[in-house]
Amino acid sequence: MSVYVRQVIAILTKDLRLELRTRERLAAMGAFAILAGVLFNFSIDTTVVRPQDVAAGLVWMTIVFGGLLGVGRTFALEAQDGAIQGILMSPAPKDAVFLGKMLANFVLLYAISLLVLGVFALFFSVDLGANLGALLFTLGLGSLGFVALATLFSAVTEGTHMGDTLLPILVFPLLVPMVIFGAGATGRLLAGRPVVEVAGNLRMLGAFALMAVAAGAGLFRYVVEE
Amino acid sequence: MTDKGIRRAGVGLALVGVILVIVVHWLSFFWVATEVNQGVVQRIFYIHVPAAWVGFIAFGVAALCSAMYLWLRDDRLDHAAVAAAEAGMVFMTVVLLTGPLWGKVAWGTYWTWDPRLTFTLLLWFIFLGYFMVRSSSENPERGKRFAAVVAIIGALDIPLIHLSVVWFRSLHPTPVVAKPEGPTLPAGMLITLMLGLLGFTLMFFGLFLLRYALESARNRVVLRERRSQS
Repeated sequence: MSVYVRQVIAILTKDLRLELRTRERLAAMGAFAILAGVLFNFSIDTTVVRPQDVAAGLVWMTIVFGGLLGVGRTFALEAQDGAIQGILMSPAPKDAVFLGKMLANFVLLYAISLLVLGVFALFFSVDLGANLGALLFTLGLGSLGFVALATLFSAVTEGTHMGDTLLPILVFPLLVPMVIFGAGATGRLLAGRPVVEVAGNLRMLGAFALMAVAAGAGLFRYVVEE
Repeated sequence: MTDKGIRRAGVGLALVGVILVIVVHWLSFFWVATEVNQGVVQRIFYIHVPAAWVGFIAFGVAALCSAMYLWLRDDRLDHAAVAAAEAGMVFMTVVLLTGPLWGKVAWGTYWTWDPRLTFTLLLWFIFLGYFMVRSSSENPERGKRFAAVVAIIGALDIPLIHLSVVWFRSLHPTPVVAKPEGPTLPAGMLITLMLGLLGFTLMFFGLFLLRYALESARNRVVLRERRSQS
């Protein structure tokens, strides 16, 4: 295993261990996801629209909002006690630090998006059985693109006095491709359409994720340099 | 060029631009022929199209200067990026205000999720983020870098946004979206439009130079303050 990969994994395991011991973000995001499902349930009139029709969009919006809630705090803890300086001064290149933090966020958000999918299946009586594998894959690709952008911009907002408030303003305009392709694919898969029909959506979602990861890894060093 | 020279050139260009834009207003109201299919409402295009043209140039310049700033770290590039972005915001606001006025009459709706409309709106918001990041950064040097990162990511994402909205629309056809782009415009219309493009472009470069001079003056004030404190 090359040094670079070991460095990425070191950051990743550190963040995950921290999360497993405090469970702060996981608990907040999880509770948010379930409560959002509850509120969404009461916000739609089932005599007017069928819940299945709006479920895909709501799943993605919940992931986006819940994701911002958790990913926005990526650097909060380390900024408080200055630990981020130590990480940045370590011999690990900045993009390795970014990739490690991003992957930790990805694990977190992917867990939450599985929860969201489950909660919505339960609350809105959506049938997941037919395309479960493809659904999980779609959520994975979408989450990856999302965390790449959100991790980069949470490093940006950490250096401003507006903090997390600024995060949605920076991230939302960039998320249009993710929401279109992700919700588009999810809607069709939930409706039981064949996977072939959403192959194009998935490819574009993958392209979005790839670009977001590359841009984040490339630009992160400009954000954190002193 | 000295700061004074830049300011003078800015005032000159902006003045010529403003005069031309006034002339274009006059031409489009009193001189140019009314378009057959759309009628009077088409006249807004002599403002709308040049504003869009300049707005996109401005945002392009801002993104390019931002990327160059991260590379070369020359403060002048950062000043140029802010100046272009701010002028771009003004022209894009004009685009977003005049477009719906036309759309209400021509399409029957103020807003539709046409790729171009979506793209313009999102670009406006990306640059809103650009300014918010800049002004809310605790350390101005960092603010410059943050803003540059926002501009670059925005520029990278724009093609994908465009593609995705085209895709989205092709899945969900919207009511007929006719665009009045005939390949051949009558001479009168062409002259008015060209003068509009020229006027808006000159006005943009004038505002750009003035804003650039302001930004570098502001920077000098900050530097002097810091020096007198230490």
